[in-house]
Amino acid sequence: MALVEVIDVSKEYQNGEEKIRPLDGVNLTISEGEFVSLMGASGSGKSTLLNLVAGIDQVTSGTIEIGGADITKLSRGNLADWRAAHVGYIFQTHNLIPVLTAYENVELPLMLLPMSNAERRKRVEIAMAAVDLTNRADHYPRQMSGGQEQRVGIARAIVANPTIVVADEPTGSLDDDTTEQILTLLQRVNRELGMTLLMVTHDTDAASRATRQLRLERSELYENGKRLAARVLRTA
Amino acid sequence: MVGLLPYVLKTLWRHRTRSLLTISGAAVALLVFCFVGAVQHGLFALTESQGAGSTLIVFQENRFCPQSSKLPEDYSRTIAKLPGVAAVVPIKVFTNNCRASLDSIVFQGVQPEQLKEFRHLTLNSGAWDGFNRQGDGALVGHAIAGRRNLKTGDKFTIGDVTVQVAGVFQSSDAAEDALVYTHLDFLQRTRGQNEVGVVTQLEVHLAGGAEPDKVARAIDAEFHAGPVATTTRTKGMFQADTLSDLAELIGFIHWLGYACVALVLSLVATTTVMSVQDRIKEHAVLQTLGFRPFRVFRLVVTESMVLSTLGGGLGVAAGLLFLSWAGMSIAAEGVTIAFRPSWNIALQGVAASIAVGLLAGLAPGWHAARTEIVPALRHA
Repeated sequence: MALVEVIDVSKEYQNGEEKIRPLDGVNLTISEGEFVSLMGASGSGKSTLLNLVAGIDQVTSGTIEIGGADITKLSRGNLADWRAAHVGYIFQTHNLIPVLTAYENVELPLMLLPMSNAERRKRVEIAMAAVDLTNRADHYPRQMSGGQEQRVGIARAIVANPTIVVADEPTGSLDDDTTEQILTLLQRVNRELGMTLLMVTHDTDAASRATRQLRLERSELYENGKRLAARVLRTA
Repeated sequence: MVGLLPYVLKTLWRHRTRSLLTISGAAVALLVFCFVGAVQHGLFALTESQGAGSTLIVFQENRFCPQSSKLPEDYSRTIAKLPGVAAVVPIKVFTNNCRASLDSIVFQGVQPEQLKEFRHLTLNSGAWDGFNRQGDGALVGHAIAGRRNLKTGDKFTIGDVTVQVAGVFQSSDAAEDALVYTHLDFLQRTRGQNEVGVVTQLEVHLAGGAEPDKVARAIDAEFHAGPVATTTRTKGMFQADTLSDLAELIGFIHWLGYACVALVLSLVATTTVMSVQDRIKEHAVLQTLGFRPFRVFRLVVTESMVLSTLGGGLGVAAGLLFLSWAGMSIAAEGVTIAFRPSWNIALQGVAASIAVGLLAGLAPGWHAARTEIVPALRHA
């Protein structure tokens, strides 16, 4: 069942005098429970596409439907509410809030959702346990390694049980061992929790851990070396 | 929003030096604000207080300093017979400094029975009987007693006047707390004065329904052709006239109060702007997690209000404590303005702090809320 439908999406922005169009009529469908990796050269628009799906950037044209909701029609405030309930975002540089402990960082997205304190505590504990960081709950980001910070970032992304988790080069700033741990964790999130993942990466090994591997080149998406036809995608 | 208060406080604590400097700056500014408010409040209390309009002060015509006003004491008997007059209190004033001074001592010589009747004094120590019996006895206002460390039984001298403290009093009128009351005849006879039968002013208490202006005109007309002509005004007008130079100065310093508020605004706004500029990426992360722009705006405004209110609250508390402890007053021409703390000043100070915090947070909050997420996430 199609969870994400990106239909004929273009994105254009101004860079000084120059008009840049990283995405031009892109189409993509992601089914529920898939783990999709998205590769491409620098400037190919893969991060732009990820940000559009995550609802933190606006399309120039086209529509994006996620779980039946056309997020391109939402106002800025409603889009924020939608993100709180439906998107988990994993950053390359973790982007934890430095003044909050690991527990508080994971708890932060839940502060935006209507739930009791007990429910919130339970969810945070489950997410912390899922990334195996229960014993680091009271640590601040500065007291943790890069890998631990990224695991907290993953816990923060999954804690609200979102419709889709997006990861922008989640292993880009980690060493090989830690990269392996994080990729294994993302696979577990997908397999054991059944969450849908869209991951942008430069790393082919990382991409190979996904259930679908896509490549974006000049606004065309390729899967297993074959270009995906727009109309096929639209009816997928 | 209450759930996010720990985040706001931790954010402020992250840059604790900057936050503490801002808080201390706001505290100093609000301390000055309270001080200015207390001075204005003192002046207002003096000119608008109960009795300021229903009591008349008779002074020698064209005389302004208490040292130069010399009225025959027996004028009181003539005035007492005029229609609309309930009672007349002859008062001899002695002050060590006719000019505006923070440490001038004002003595008022009044007959003891009239003092008890017309002044609402509560004795903190000593007794009325002791004062009545003791010719050189003095009842000292608690503000002066505190300032000069005087206790019942102590002797002290100002100029040529030496008195023994028969009691320390507190009055509902703060300006009274900065006075020293003696027997009238003592102050008339004391060394260097030698003015038996002469008083500085006559305080005329009006009967119910009497028109102050009409009675004042009648008094001045009565003595117009006499040995000493008089000028009679309501007590409020007399005090306002006497303190006119000082009142102008005090009127001017209310701008200092506004300047203090502007200073807090500038301080808190600068700190909040710096805080927002430091955390462009953090605010973008919050929005990515689902914080609405308006929630980010409220976070920034809350930070600004916490800084301003903490600083302002500390300044107000310190100002009120200082004013209570110091018992300060300023006197000119024998009239005293007391600087007293009040709930009104405290509320004004706290309200100003909250308003300034809100105002200072508006622009940076708006800036943080309008941040475009994707460019901000790339921010170093």
